[in-house]
Amino acid sequence: MKKCTKCGATPVIIHRKASGQILCKECFIESITDKVLKGIRRNKLIEKGDKVAVALSGGKDSVMVLDILNSLYERNIIDLFAITIDEGIEGYREHGVEIAVKNANKLGLDHRIASIKDYFGKTLDEIMTDDCREHGACTYCGVFRRWIINKIAREEGATKIATGHNLDDETQAILMNYLEGNIDNLTRIGAKSEPKSDKFTVKIKPLREIPEKEVALYAIARELDVHFDECPYSRESFRGEVGRFIKELSVNHPTIMFSTLKGFDKIKPAIKKEFSGKKVKIGMCINCGEPASHELCRACLFSKKINNEE
Amino acid sequence: MTITVIYGNEKQTVEIQGNMTIKEVMDTMDISSQTVVVKKNNEIVMEEEIAEDGDIIEVIRVIYGG
Repeated sequence: MKKCTKCGATPVIIHRKASGQILCKECFIESITDKVLKGIRRNKLIEKGDKVAVALSGGKDSVMVLDILNSLYERNIIDLFAITIDEGIEGYREHGVEIAVKNANKLGLDHRIASIKDYFGKTLDEIMTDDCREHGACTYCGVFRRWIINKIAREEGATKIATGHNLDDETQAILMNYLEGNIDNLTRIGAKSEPKSDKFTVKIKPLREIPEKEVALYAIARELDVHFDECPYSRESFRGEVGRFIKELSVNHPTIMFSTLKGFDKIKPAIKKEFSGKKVKIGMCINCGEPASHELCRACLFSKKINNEE
Repeated sequence: MTITVIYGNEKQTVEIQGNMTIKEVMDTMDISSQTVVVKKNNEIVMEEEIAEDGDIIEVIRVIYGG
């Protein structure tokens, strides 16, 4: 029987092919927690006294972020609360919201729940059944969700917004933007956002170096209440195609995601220097007052179109 | 040798020959080990673990789009 390479115990739950480590449940949980907290310190994601809003969907990634950041909250290093967005996806989102509520309640944290319909008049399902829609579900969802989270974070005085982006998400973003030639987007990928307006709260990604499968394993090993359902719109996306491609590569090249991220982080300063020359002036949306680079912010532009207000 | 595999809402009895790892069992069922976490008799196990007669293998799909 295989033994934990750290403490010698059995049974073991993971063989990390990238490093050769074999770990028991306790050592795995400890190693993940250490890695996330070290990453937070190394990248200066959180400072003492920060008020952190966790964008909590109820999925494994955001519940894990909440679980780990709660250890900082319990030690009075940070203040912590959760924001959940109900996108209006029937048969999928209700379960996520329910799980998010359970997790926030379990930890005794403040929790704001807001829906896309409340702010923008339609659920994501309603938007997607309109033949006149101009974008895919992920585009509407992303734009509306970011707008609401940023607004609530500011209302609550949050200094950071923590999201559950993991290593798989991050390598997908790097590859997607490279393949599509979105160099401007590439310059913005990182562990911590650098907002162009003080009305944008800084976003941090504590799980950026943790593979998605290890996030799931952590959630199950810690017996966290999470949902593993698939968003019905995720299959439509280019991100999904890129994700499948990288996972296939990872079978024979288990370090490929780590090296993609590491290589990108090394080259990013050069890309930023070379390609972020065009300074976009950030003003205020004439409709909602949120930061915008044009007269209307993207959320208001989309909102007007989906509600036929043009 | 017979094992029970639970995958999503489906529960099936699988006949296996000789020593097969859980990964090999999943390969025969066309389940990608990259997207799942496996429990054997209610404990998390690695995919390299050998399936034994009477085992109840719960396969939890944790990653989509992969």
